[in-house]
Amino acid sequence: MSAILECSDLSKSYGKNEAVRHLNMTLEDNTMYGLLGPNGAGKTTLLNMITGGIFPTSGVVEASGSRLELGGMPPETCYIREKNLYWRGARVMEILQFASAFHPHWDWPFAEGLLNTFKLDPRKKIRHLSRGMQSLAGNIIGLASRARLTIYDEPMLGLDVLVREKFYSILVEDYANYPRTIVLSTHFIDEIAKIVERVYIMDAGTILLHDDVDHIRDHAHVLTGSSEAVQQFTNDKQVIYSEPYGKGSLSVIYGTLGEKDRVQANQLGLTIEGLALQKFFSYLIEGGRRIE
Amino acid sequence: MKTNFDSSQPIFQQIAEMIEDDILNGTYQEGDQIISMAQFASTFQINPATAVKGIGLLVGEGILYKKRGLGMYVAEGAKQTIMGKRRIRFYDEMVSKLLEEAEKLGITNEDVIEMIKERTGADRK
Repeated sequence: MSAILECSDLSKSYGKNEAVRHLNMTLEDNTMYGLLGPNGAGKTTLLNMITGGIFPTSGVVEASGSRLELGGMPPETCYIREKNLYWRGARVMEILQFASAFHPHWDWPFAEGLLNTFKLDPRKKIRHLSRGMQSLAGNIIGLASRARLTIYDEPMLGLDVLVREKFYSILVEDYANYPRTIVLSTHFIDEIAKIVERVYIMDAGTILLHDDVDHIRDHAHVLTGSSEAVQQFTNDKQVIYSEPYGKGSLSVIYGTLGEKDRVQANQLGLTIEGLALQKFFSYLIEGGRRIE
Repeated sequence: MKTNFDSSQPIFQQIAEMIEDDILNGTYQEGDQIISMAQFASTFQINPATAVKGIGLLVGEGILYKKRGLGMYVAEGAKQTIMGKRRIRFYDEMVSKLLEEAEKLGITNEDVIEMIKERTGADRK
């Protein structure tokens, strides 16, 4: 696989505030990514930089092998912003026509089908749309553009669970038929956990972890038991979070557990459980430790 | 077929098990075509690569096979293969777990056997 976009040592400061700090990220061809982080982690700043909207204070963004210059957009990229800056007086159809002119792989029958599926009236003006409907207008553009790199910033904002599920189904099916690189930046972590292949977890302007979702599922464990037992078991393991409760303690570790570990845990009376991505995310952010 | 994924196991393994369950319970007969990767992705809202990985696992074990350009099919003898494999796991996981829990509760092996007999007797009535 080759990289479609790469950023190295990327930083962005606003005065004294460092929104993004020495960040490295590689987006491969035909992969679906999740970009996760608490509010204020720097996700939108990062996305704005890699799509050429703002220029980094230092560092380099390379798109398809060539360096992104000031004011440049990476080629064949569709960026769906959280706050869409579309002219609010324009009609949905006008926005779609505008987008279609920019994206060589735009699929009109698909776009019209999506308007139908999501019951979005193409004659309506953007400013008359609810927050959810505005998100949908953006999501339809993201899907129909079939751009080689599609980036969604909070695409699920204002959407109810039924619409979100419909969007996920359509997204994965279209991705299966037209492979491309997709980035979903979202707070709906457990919902996208089975949709994306890799995640970047970001906090305070840096990447705490990037890994395959399946790999995380295999590696993230939560241990509970007496404090001494937990201490003894986690001695030689990577602990990302720990918390006492009563006489016992809870510890979240990251790494493979072999048969020997399981036997030891059993002898020590420890309980080992897997972790859903969202819970793992909370522990990781709470612990604030970076995983290499 | 279960439609929820739990966090204890990679999803591709759960996908493989779902297909196996469907073969065991007769939803898919040997020689039947299974749904496409895109349908899998869309139905369960999973990444297509995950579906491919799950299906690949079963291809590797000779449970499914690919007809070029047509899709994936259930192999002859698939049911037997799955039953053999699950039998081993039944012993490794379920029986061991049962005895472990019994030990914690102070239930003897004889009591466990008695309980199993009682239970199967009750089910037969």
